[in-house]
Amino acid sequence: MVGFLAQRIVKGIVVLLAIVVLNFFLIRLAPGDPALVMAGEAGAGDEAFIAQLREKFALDQPLPRQLAAYLGSIATLDLGYSVRQQMPVATLIGERLPATLLLTGTAFAVSLSLGVLLGSLAARRAGTLADTAITGLALLFYATPLFWVSLMAIILFSVRLDWLPSFGFETVGAGYTGLARALDIAHHLVLPAMTLGLFFMAVYVRMTRSSMLEVSRLDFVKTARAKGLTEGVIQRRHILRNALLPVVTLAGLQAGTLVGGAVLTETVFAWPGIGRLMYEALLQRDYNLLLGVFVVSSAMVLVFNLVTDVVYRAVDPRIEVA
Amino acid sequence: MSGALPLSAPAPARRRRGPLAAFLRHPGAVFGLVVLVLVVAAALLAPVLYPTSPWRMVQRPFVPPFTLERVPLGTDALGRDIAAGLMHGAGVSLIVGLVSTLAALLIGVPLGALAGYLGGRVDDALMRFTELFQTVPSFALAIVLVAILQPSLSSMILAIALVSWPPVTRLVRGEVLSLRSREYVQAAIVTGQTTFTILRREVLPNTLSPIVVLASLMVATAILLESSLSFLGLGDPNRMSWGFMVGAGRTVIRQAWWITAFPGVLILLTVLALNLIGEGLNDALNPRLSRER
Amino acid sequence: MLKTLMAGTVLSLALAGAAFAQTPKPGGTANAVIQPEPPGLMLAMVQNGPTQMVAGNIYEGLLRYDSALKPLPGLAESWSMGDDGKTYTFKLVKNATWHDGKPFTADDVIFSVELLRQTHARARGNLARVASVTAPDPYTVVFTLSEPFGPFLGIFEVGSLPMIPKHIYAGTDYKTNPANNTPIGTGPYTFKEWKKGSYIRLVKNPNYHVAGKPYLDEIYWHVIPDAAARAVAFETGKVDILPGGSVENFDVQRLSALKGACSTTKGWEFFSPMSWLWLNNRKGPMANKAFRQAVSYALDRDFARDVVWNGLGKPATGPFASTVRYHDPKAAKYSYDPAKAKALLKESGYKGETVRLLPLPYGETWQRWAEAVKQNLEDVGIKVELVATDVAGWNQKTSDWDYDIAFTYLYQYGDPALGVGRNYVTSQIAKGSPFNNVEGYSNPSVDEAFAKGAVAVGDDQRRPIYDAVQKTLVEDAPNAWLLELQFPTITRCKVHDLVTTGIGVNDGFRDAWIDR
Repeated sequence: MVGFLAQRIVKGIVVLLAIVVLNFFLIRLAPGDPALVMAGEAGAGDEAFIAQLREKFALDQPLPRQLAAYLGSIATLDLGYSVRQQMPVATLIGERLPATLLLTGTAFAVSLSLGVLLGSLAARRAGTLADTAITGLALLFYATPLFWVSLMAIILFSVRLDWLPSFGFETVGAGYTGLARALDIAHHLVLPAMTLGLFFMAVYVRMTRSSMLEVSRLDFVKTARAKGLTEGVIQRRHILRNALLPVVTLAGLQAGTLVGGAVLTETVFAWPGIGRLMYEALLQRDYNLLLGVFVVSSAMVLVFNLVTDVVYRAVDPRIEVA
Repeated sequence: MSGALPLSAPAPARRRRGPLAAFLRHPGAVFGLVVLVLVVAAALLAPVLYPTSPWRMVQRPFVPPFTLERVPLGTDALGRDIAAGLMHGAGVSLIVGLVSTLAALLIGVPLGALAGYLGGRVDDALMRFTELFQTVPSFALAIVLVAILQPSLSSMILAIALVSWPPVTRLVRGEVLSLRSREYVQAAIVTGQTTFTILRREVLPNTLSPIVVLASLMVATAILLESSLSFLGLGDPNRMSWGFMVGAGRTVIRQAWWITAFPGVLILLTVLALNLIGEGLNDALNPRLSRER
Repeated sequence: MLKTLMAGTVLSLALAGAAFAQTPKPGGTANAVIQPEPPGLMLAMVQNGPTQMVAGNIYEGLLRYDSALKPLPGLAESWSMGDDGKTYTFKLVKNATWHDGKPFTADDVIFSVELLRQTHARARGNLARVASVTAPDPYTVVFTLSEPFGPFLGIFEVGSLPMIPKHIYAGTDYKTNPANNTPIGTGPYTFKEWKKGSYIRLVKNPNYHVAGKPYLDEIYWHVIPDAAARAVAFETGKVDILPGGSVENFDVQRLSALKGACSTTKGWEFFSPMSWLWLNNRKGPMANKAFRQAVSYALDRDFARDVVWNGLGKPATGPFASTVRYHDPKAAKYSYDPAKAKALLKESGYKGETVRLLPLPYGETWQRWAEAVKQNLEDVGIKVELVATDVAGWNQKTSDWDYDIAFTYLYQYGDPALGVGRNYVTSQIAKGSPFNNVEGYSNPSVDEAFAKGAVAVGDDQRRPIYDAVQKTLVEDAPNAWLLELQFPTITRCKVHDLVTTGIGVNDGFRDAWIDR
């Protein structure tokens, strides 16, 4: 087990390193640089001004030197400094990460549990009206553009009905503390988490359903039936448990991508998370910040995958982890 | 944003009836096929029915739908014909979906085949490479790629292809891995055929059906991705696409719902159709997963 | 002998009288939108729009300007010009303190001028003719110029020449001074908190140097990245103030018409934002004057105003916005005339080359405008391809001259010598900046006129010079001028006296109060 872990961690670090190097160069391929963006926003700027900014961003250094400096600081777990925002990248990401984790975590938990529930329901009633309804609905959610659902939800729930707030993380200036604050945040969380969760729920419904149908045809299920076990027990103990394995794999994979994948939702709902931070950093060519977001979200994906694999191995030692 | 993942490698089929018949027994798939045919027809007929550019301002802005015969679906913020935009946009959405999927297959299939067939170090290296692309958040990577290449139809296609090939590689690798130990492949190896020939003649044709199923889902995902990118303003400003129409109309969604509603519904229908077709294909080519027990 | 131009106290009394007879009520919270989130609030280091808007409450300049661009007292209570046009004396207010309690004195002014010359590109240009700044006593500052500079009294607004505390910045590395994150000024509100991605909070400065002001207890600047979400925030009452440009134009009408909503287009006179198409005079068809004129005739400016900008703005008649001094309406030439454009195009020998059109990446309105202009140009037979890019890409392409036709808009700061000449004189042709003579137009007579206009003293001398230059520029059509832009400020009507000067919201909320 220790050997396996060490091997996986080394591999993960190699992948992470490759991501850093790749993205370091990718980002610099984009036209313009942070100094030009700052000058552009200022509505004024002569050569001296831009040269000054370039020096400030250390853009006057040769590229390999910049990369070496960056890798050096990454090695000491320092994500560098965002000159534009005048703050360490780690602080900026640290400020935003909780909001993203709350949003995607909620969306993830809700979509996974609902998805598995509805998916197994559909599988048990395969071919019936209930099945058709559930799969149809799942397909519909799956096919609807996320941003479109968000806009519609805002118009319905915020503007027309005035039930839910349409933007932000909490009521600014209300000064809530403790439970009141938690409730306030939860109130703000409903719309973004719901719209984000619908898409993933659809994925899990479809996956659970087909996975269960597949397992139900396997020999050990037939054996269980032959032994005269009740249908409920077979469904729960034999089919669902085994059918969940691929679902968990996918969930592990997606839990990671969710961290960086909520750009649209965070933008539409003004949710102060790192997806938005990433997009803004890209537009502003804030290289260190953008790389920092990539490093953090990639690292989280790697950790999630590792955890999934370890869980797998613990559950079933026969599974060989590639 | 990485929805199109195959569940598992299907076993070789014991076919009791023809795949076409199986496909046609699937009502959803037939519906999907009909929708897709209509979309293709719209794309083909657009230059005939609306020979002028869909960007032309033909009427006053914000004409509601079903009020003027000349512009049956109304006009947008600049007075452009929504119906013309939808017809011309069909082609762009289909091109983005098809070409990017094709490109992803061109990257993914060879890599997967090599990894699965050669195994060992090659497999290890290729899988690390694939992992690299699966680890970076894919939508974020797509945004960065389009920003670097500057928004255009080709940069969007390239970006979508570059973020959507890893599942193909994994699928093909798994298939090839299981096919490699088959007798006929072993026989081909013994007779001294080259790796390339064996892959092309013996192995890849047998991985076709799961690839087709995956590809149909990938086209759908690509169309969604295109619309998301356009929504963020990263679309090609010279091509009228559905994603562009939704993105451009969203700021006026309160005054003029129809500008976003029609293209939005069309994206939904097309993606839905492709998914239903994918399911139908899956059932037809891979009866193990079919509905009937 | 000194000629006193304006006594500050008299004027502020007059202004207070002009405002409606309502008595301001102290207290309350202002909720405003800020878009996009500023990169920092230290005005001497960062000068982008949102920074100026928020930091205008924290920092102050020596002067402010009314909507006719006449100077108003700021940190200077009175000012005067010497007869030679080269000496300006400012008397500072005596009771102003920095937010940390230290007094504001003439030393701070001298230091600010020094610092801004290093960090603030526009200030550097504006101060080019300043030979020395001295302080005869702690509350008097004397600027001595090397030659007269007509618009000199127009460079003291907070965004152009903010006062920076010497005791915090002297002897430090300005760029990395930790105080940049906790800005300290003399303004009516102090910096309290910045939750990145969510809001910036300013609170009342209890020691503000104008007695009784400010009225509000605190200001929240909300960061909402999506335009539609900003509109919804106003509609649902979560924010009460939408500064100019924070919602798409399509929403302006609808939001202004809401019950209890008020809007004004005032407060931008100082900036005089003006939009035009850069025509790359160096190459291709754009090098030909007839082609450039054809472009100008092909543009339907009324359509742009009525449809793209929802009735906001004013068709531009030439290089000077009508709010800029010495604007000459008689110089106008280009009406919407596709037939004439086609004739000129023929005359120019245009052979159907594809022309790349670079939109301004500032949101949907500008995108729609580019689409409309593309149509205008194609209607007269010019082949156009839109180039998509983001802010960084736009800046790079324009400052590297890698474009054919590009949208832009720039502030003109009320005076041709401050904000117009830079775009047309030969000495301003330099790669690396998107704000100078980007089109590459060069005409010795224009160079000479702008040089003379800047140092001439008095309207009688300056006006004829600028009249002539406008005529020449309109004829040569180095650029295609589009619209003088208007960015209405939308507020809940209970918010009073938010926009009281020509600097508008950027002048800070010092006079604003909320009726409750």
